[in-house]
Amino acid sequence: MSTFHLTVSTPDGQLFDGEVQSLRLRMLDGDLGILPNHENYVAGVGAGEAVIVTEAGEKRRAACIGGLLSMIDNHANLLSTTFEWAENIDIERARRAKERAEQRISEAKEDKELMLAKAKLERALVRIKVKA
Amino acid sequence: MAGASMKDIKLRIKSVESTMQITKAMELVASSKLRRAKERQERAHPYFSELRNTMDRIEMSTTDFFSPYQIRRTIERQCMIVIAGDRGLAGGYNSNVFRYYEALMQRNAVKTCIIPIGKRSYEYFQRRGAEIITDEFIEAAGISVADCFELARLITKGYLAGEFDRVGVVYTRFVSLLTQTTDSVDLLPLMEFKKKQSEPKEKKIEPLVLYEPSAAAVYDAIVPHYISGMIYGAMCESVASELAARRTAMDAANKNASAMIDDLSLRYNRARQGAITQEITEIVAGAEH
Repeated sequence: MSTFHLTVSTPDGQLFDGEVQSLRLRMLDGDLGILPNHENYVAGVGAGEAVIVTEAGEKRRAACIGGLLSMIDNHANLLSTTFEWAENIDIERARRAKERAEQRISEAKEDKELMLAKAKLERALVRIKVKA
Repeated sequence: MAGASMKDIKLRIKSVESTMQITKAMELVASSKLRRAKERQERAHPYFSELRNTMDRIEMSTTDFFSPYQIRRTIERQCMIVIAGDRGLAGGYNSNVFRYYEALMQRNAVKTCIIPIGKRSYEYFQRRGAEIITDEFIEAAGISVADCFELARLITKGYLAGEFDRVGVVYTRFVSLLTQTTDSVDLLPLMEFKKKQSEPKEKKIEPLVLYEPSAAAVYDAIVPHYISGMIYGAMCESVASELAARRTAMDAANKNASAMIDDLSLRYNRARQGAITQEITEIVAGAEH
């Protein structure tokens, strides 16, 4: 099985660095799968689930929100604002965040507040979905 | 000992000792926080440097490339982010930042609005009646990456809307534990890669890359992230510098306090000796009669 090199970095540090068989993640306009020897490619990352199949064939899931994916010369580099492995997600916290965000949306008066609450809700929903 | 009784001296020694305890504690706290601040900065570094690399790659590999963030307009109004500390007792850390800012303003006087970070910075500009854009980011120590993103969104939006034509940041660079220098960088308009490298040593052929939806769109989407990275980096450096400055200041305070205690103990012993001598003289004088 051919592989390619993947690094995942966030502002809080590097979370993954190794060979993988495939990578699937949600981009701004839908899901995208990356396999070895993909054409050189750079695009913005949306909010959703990311699935990585490691060299050993292990499937790892994560919540991946916002950022940039670049695939240059068989080296993929995922720069994500938020990247959390499924096993590290605090489901209780995500549920609480979801409730709080929903409440804020119903109470929001300003556009800015509404936008912020919506973004928070989206993040919480992604986390809950990945964990589920 | 002229004037000072033994009791007075004893009291002073006690008060210096308790001050020393505080400065010692502050020094220890500053050292441990400093280590954490440095780690935080190092963790974030690869992420933001890779963003810059991607931006450079886009600039290099596309010829018909154009971004509103790169246009140089005549500067009528600028926005300065001034990062200082939340607290004092850090030697010249805060005043150095403000002195640097004033010198900078004297060199190019344009209408300026301020985004203060750090309570001291906020207080300073409020007192001077400067135009403050937002006071949401006052606490320097508590600023997270998310706050920097927020701030970056705010300034990129303002820049695109033409509210200001230049964005700069004044911060303190962490050179070493003993040296910190105040510095400033321009965030917007963006530096152009081609101009930055006046003489390319080796001409590397950039691989052809597919940008989705387009190179310019990807570039413009990265810019706020990049800006927030720059701000976060400056923040981390400033926080580390503040802690290092405080550590040095507290170290000096400790040394001064122990010197004072030494001096005072000497005086105390002399006063004690003087008192004993006097007593003996009195007794001897009484026995002679």
